[in-house]
Amino acid sequence: MDSSGDRDENSSVPGRRSSKVLIVMPARNEAPRIGSLIQELRTRVPHAQVLVVDDESNDGTPEVARQAGALVAELPFHLGYGGALQTGYRFAAAGGFEFLVQLDSDGQHRAEDVDPLLSHVQDDSCDLVVGSRFAPRKAPAGEDAPAAYEMGALRSLGRQALCLFARLGGLRVTDPTSGFQAMNREAFELFASDWYPSDYPDVDVLLLADRRGLRIREHPVEMRASPRPSMLHSGWLPVYYAYRMMLSLWALSAVPRVKAVPSLEAAASSQKEKE
Amino acid sequence: MNRDLELAHIRELFLNAPESETTRLLAMIGSVALIAIVLWLVRRRVLREEHTPIWVGISTALAIVSIIPGMLTTITQWIGAWTPSSTLFFLGEVCLVLLCLSFAIRLSKTSIQLKALCQEVAILRTSLAEIERSAKV
Repeated sequence: MDSSGDRDENSSVPGRRSSKVLIVMPARNEAPRIGSLIQELRTRVPHAQVLVVDDESNDGTPEVARQAGALVAELPFHLGYGGALQTGYRFAAAGGFEFLVQLDSDGQHRAEDVDPLLSHVQDDSCDLVVGSRFAPRKAPAGEDAPAAYEMGALRSLGRQALCLFARLGGLRVTDPTSGFQAMNREAFELFASDWYPSDYPDVDVLLLADRRGLRIREHPVEMRASPRPSMLHSGWLPVYYAYRMMLSLWALSAVPRVKAVPSLEAAASSQKEKE
Repeated sequence: MNRDLELAHIRELFLNAPESETTRLLAMIGSVALIAIVLWLVRRRVLREEHTPIWVGISTALAIVSIIPGMLTTITQWIGAWTPSSTLFFLGEVCLVLLCLSFAIRLSKTSIQLKALCQEVAILRTSLAEIERSAKV
């Protein structure tokens, strides 16, 4: 909590408020929850524009979202989570936005975490920040600290497998399936391109970003238990999942690698730390 | 030793069996008809030109094999098959698999384009609604 406290002070810098921020929320049949979430986002992050990408809802989600003051992009036909999310990236890329936050519409991600998450990319300490349920609260170094979020044994095993998987690809993350992310223009322009695995975005998105030289960081967040089961344990065969991950890791090796260039500020601050 | 000789003899019999004139005639008619149908479909704008080379290629190959006598037997000897008919089946299968693969590639490409179009429509509709809204105010 205290880390988010001093982040809030940072966010009152006037320069940061003027930057164009888009909050993307892919939604499918979220009418009961989405209205209040949008209103909360608009009060907590008033300088940001909220875009709901509606993926063929039939419960009036677009109307509720519009009523609450969000922009709504209605997909002509069902594209799935990745396709809906990418619509947001493409909207931001075409609309001249500088920063983008993505969160789920089902209420598992909290509006109060948006600003702290955003501050990481706005002060240019990284290009992509992932809201993690398992990231250690204070010290950034070290292994997983015990976290409050409860997970079933099977899901926990799945998460560890994915973390291991990410490490095979050369990336250390604690919450590889988190859909709560903030990024700068460089990142969402990459995701707006055809490199983005929009069929089933997962760890491979982070690996893609890492391969393209984006600086990735995690920020501890709390999440409410999702009211609906996630993709991972809704009857997906783990074997098929593993196969798919192996395939996408292999496919990633076709993506030209770009070395991360540390920003001047980050380099300067790390030098200060050494001194 | 004796058995090997016997087998070689049987294979020889298969390979040297006279080709049936009726079969050849049917194959010739079939391949020429296939070429004609492909060209007709292109003329009617049912089949797009970019899809034709593979079909013209297959029907031409079939025509060559059926017109030149002994061609199929020679190929059978090359690939080590026993009967010309199995050579024909094998080549046909290879062609079908390649065709399926090329369709799968085209389908993937089309679905990527379709997804991009779908997203673009949603984005344009949103901007249009915004413009209309600001025009009203």
